[in-house]
Amino acid sequence: MSNGTIEVASAEEIAKEFKEHSVAEFFKKNMQMLGLTGKIKALTTIVHEYVTNSLDACEEAKILPDIEVQIKELGNEYYEVTVKDNGPGLTKETVGKALGQLLAGTKFHRMMQMRGQQGIGAAGCTMLSQITTGKASQVVTGTGKGNPLSMEITIDPKKNQAKITNMVELKKEFRGTIIKAKFKGMKYVNSEQAPLEYLRRTAIANPHAQITLIEPSNKKIVFKRTLKDIPKQPLEIKPHPKGINVDELNTLAKYTSARQVSSFLKSEFDRMGDKAVTEIQKNVSFDLRKDPRQLTWEECEEVVKQFRKINFIAPRTDGLRPIGEERIRKSLTGIVQPEFLSVVTRRASVYSGGFPFQVEVGIAYGGNAGKGNNTVNDDGTIERKMEIMRFANRAPLLFDTGGCAITKAVQSIDWKRYGMKDFENAPITIFANLISVHIPYTSAGKQAISDETEIMEELRLALMDSGRRAAQYIAGKRKEQDKKMKKELFFKFIPEIAKALEEITKKNRKTIEKNLEHLVLEKLKLEDDEEEAEKISQEIKETSADTDKKAKKKALSEDEELNEEVIEEGEE
Amino acid sequence: MAKAVNNKESAKITPKDIALRLKVMAEGITKQIDSHIDPVFTTQQRGRSNVEFDDKKKVLTLGDKMTSRNFLNIGHAKKFMQTMMVTSKAHDYLSQNKTASIREIYYELKHTLGKSKENTFEDQTESDSCIVDLEHSVDTIREKLNLHANPKGTLYGDITIVDRKHNSDEFNASKLGRGGWSIMSRIEPEEIEIKKTNADYILVIETEAMYERLVEEGFAKKNKAILISTGGQAARGTRRLIHRIHTEKKLPVYMFTDGDPYGWYIYSVVKQGSMALAAHSDFLAVPDAKYIGMTLEDVEDFGLHNVTEKMKEGDVKRAKEMLDYPWFQNKEWQAELKKAIQLKIRIEQQALANKSLSFVADEYLPKKIKKKDFLP
Repeated sequence: MSNGTIEVASAEEIAKEFKEHSVAEFFKKNMQMLGLTGKIKALTTIVHEYVTNSLDACEEAKILPDIEVQIKELGNEYYEVTVKDNGPGLTKETVGKALGQLLAGTKFHRMMQMRGQQGIGAAGCTMLSQITTGKASQVVTGTGKGNPLSMEITIDPKKNQAKITNMVELKKEFRGTIIKAKFKGMKYVNSEQAPLEYLRRTAIANPHAQITLIEPSNKKIVFKRTLKDIPKQPLEIKPHPKGINVDELNTLAKYTSARQVSSFLKSEFDRMGDKAVTEIQKNVSFDLRKDPRQLTWEECEEVVKQFRKINFIAPRTDGLRPIGEERIRKSLTGIVQPEFLSVVTRRASVYSGGFPFQVEVGIAYGGNAGKGNNTVNDDGTIERKMEIMRFANRAPLLFDTGGCAITKAVQSIDWKRYGMKDFENAPITIFANLISVHIPYTSAGKQAISDETEIMEELRLALMDSGRRAAQYIAGKRKEQDKKMKKELFFKFIPEIAKALEEITKKNRKTIEKNLEHLVLEKLKLEDDEEEAEKISQEIKETSADTDKKAKKKALSEDEELNEEVIEEGEE
Repeated sequence: MAKAVNNKESAKITPKDIALRLKVMAEGITKQIDSHIDPVFTTQQRGRSNVEFDDKKKVLTLGDKMTSRNFLNIGHAKKFMQTMMVTSKAHDYLSQNKTASIREIYYELKHTLGKSKENTFEDQTESDSCIVDLEHSVDTIREKLNLHANPKGTLYGDITIVDRKHNSDEFNASKLGRGGWSIMSRIEPEEIEIKKTNADYILVIETEAMYERLVEEGFAKKNKAILISTGGQAARGTRRLIHRIHTEKKLPVYMFTDGDPYGWYIYSVVKQGSMALAAHSDFLAVPDAKYIGMTLEDVEDFGLHNVTEKMKEGDVKRAKEMLDYPWFQNKEWQAELKKAIQLKIRIEQQALANKSLSFVADEYLPKKIKKKDFLP
């Protein structure tokens, strides 16, 4: 942090220096860690922060989001970003915290599935604007009650506090928030990592939102709302003991209202019953009746050690809110317009023993699926390549593609077995959304999911499941094409045959043609029937093999039900 | 299906008869289509697998194997269409009393299919093969379908011919100048009549150059010979004419070719018939034909060592294959072929010019014919 000085600083000096560096200063010096470097990436990240805030706010307030993003080019690598939403708006008290104080977001330390988890947040953008242009961000916000407020915000980097200036009340009715900020050192292009693609994917994962982008060229792109129901609010759940580290325990202990460690444990943690507390008491060196605020780091270590040892019931998964098969289907149909679509939402599962998660996968084939390049085929269609759309808690992930568990899971599958010979060059869009109360990102840039064993397994199962359905469609399509080709081939020859026979026999040409066409259609139908018969006999074979599997599966699910009953008991 | 009819019967069959055969075939197919049965066209199978050497007649004949083309077979559909088109066109020629070359019928029928980029026929081999199928299917020869191949070959010598289709012109082939008569592709008796000849034998010559040499030397008159040049592989019309003069005027046929596999093959086609036209050997082949030369013995006898040529690898290979041909299973040919394979040399007709220009006419041919120094 000291600009590469060779002098060895004493511990006290370092501590002093650290205090003087506020979070804002730290941020200023470590922008790349936060995903704000790279001219294209930075602009996308800014849009992401604002839009995510808007979506989360609308969802919490049960409002159907209507978000408009406008990007204006002010000069060379100089842009103004305006994001307007119809959300609940901010009050005088909250506006500074939301936009002028780094790491002050309500999301920090909440065990809840949210888009902007760990976010640098909109305040990060305020900071970035001020660092690159020296200008304040303009905000207009209204709650629908009383006059909306207009103001300018900057951050005092030393104190990490908002500096609000020029606040005025506007004499009109408005609910929502408009943020307008200027940035330098950015670039607006039309690439896969640019704001347009980001918003397209956001729209896919949020079919209840209407999202508009006005590009620097003034071109307006609207992603229409495909569903009118607001998704159910994810539930905040208590952290599971298996997913807690010493630092987190230490922090939670400082803020609890419980008076004893034992009641603190029972009230703040998921699946923590008397039995577990008794077990912990037996193995720690201090009395659990102690005030949790007095817990030392070493005592926290002891408790976490016990957390690791004890067999807790798996965490609750009912706090998770998948987008849902039907909603994904509708939004992909609306935006990608594929010929075929198969969507799979897996059951919730748990990784690392303590974090519930769930996987949703969609495979779209044909139509506008896949990413188009600039090659135009003979028949005027655009050549398309396979694309992977990655999402974490519905927020698109555009960067660090190679390092992401989703990409790795897709690549680990032998797509040839699913009838996709040239998978990389097929018109396919793979949609994958991981939802969790805690997404395991590979880095603070939040662009790639780490390949936890359980997550990889669930992703693979979902991909294979929807892959199987896609394979059936592709095979059917191929058969259909074959049939069409055959029919065309025979039909091509019919007029000449009929003409030749008419010339010799004087029989009517049209009758001969009709009869020949009838013959061809009958033949193709017969071939179909034969295939169908073969398929049925194949299915009979498979079903008999399946019955065994199903019997086993049923036995398993009965076991699971038993488990759930145990859980209920455990809670009481 | 009856085996190819003999000459006399052939003469009786009129274009009307053939047109009727085509009509019956087409009606049969139309009936199948009307009854919703996959229409099928049946013909004799061609190619090596259905060609055999008839030991008695000493000619190649087509076996009994039949082959059928179904419209509803993806691999046959186009061929089926092409065969119907050729049938209709041939029927049309017969009804209008017109004749056409096989190249003309190809061009008459070639066009694109509907809106596709595909042609009815991509090249002439496709229509040619339909013509042969049709010949076999209705048991006739292409001349009877009013079709003919491109003519090739020349006739010179004391033989009187009448062209019935052209003012019944009557002419003697020794009075047409040095060029002689260009042999037509249609040599059927109803068109060409072989009236009379004073010649003693027919000399069939591979190269035009040698033919011209012999005309210039007055060979035909001095030796009472009819000269026929094939100009390489003998065309169908030329083979038909050799066959007819041989059978109608009872003249022996002597073959004079280069001493190499190509020359030997020209000889064997004239003598035994060809693989492609095995069905018509009775009309075309001359099993009694004899081979004058060139032979490797000639090289010894006439001291031609210095004018032999080296055989190419391909030629040696061909010669080795010929060792197994049924009609070369006699000690003379086996010895000749083996010698050629061993020495890897070939000898051309014109190498005789090494002695003198008139040597071939004054000494080589008369000597060999007098001594009956032939290969069988």
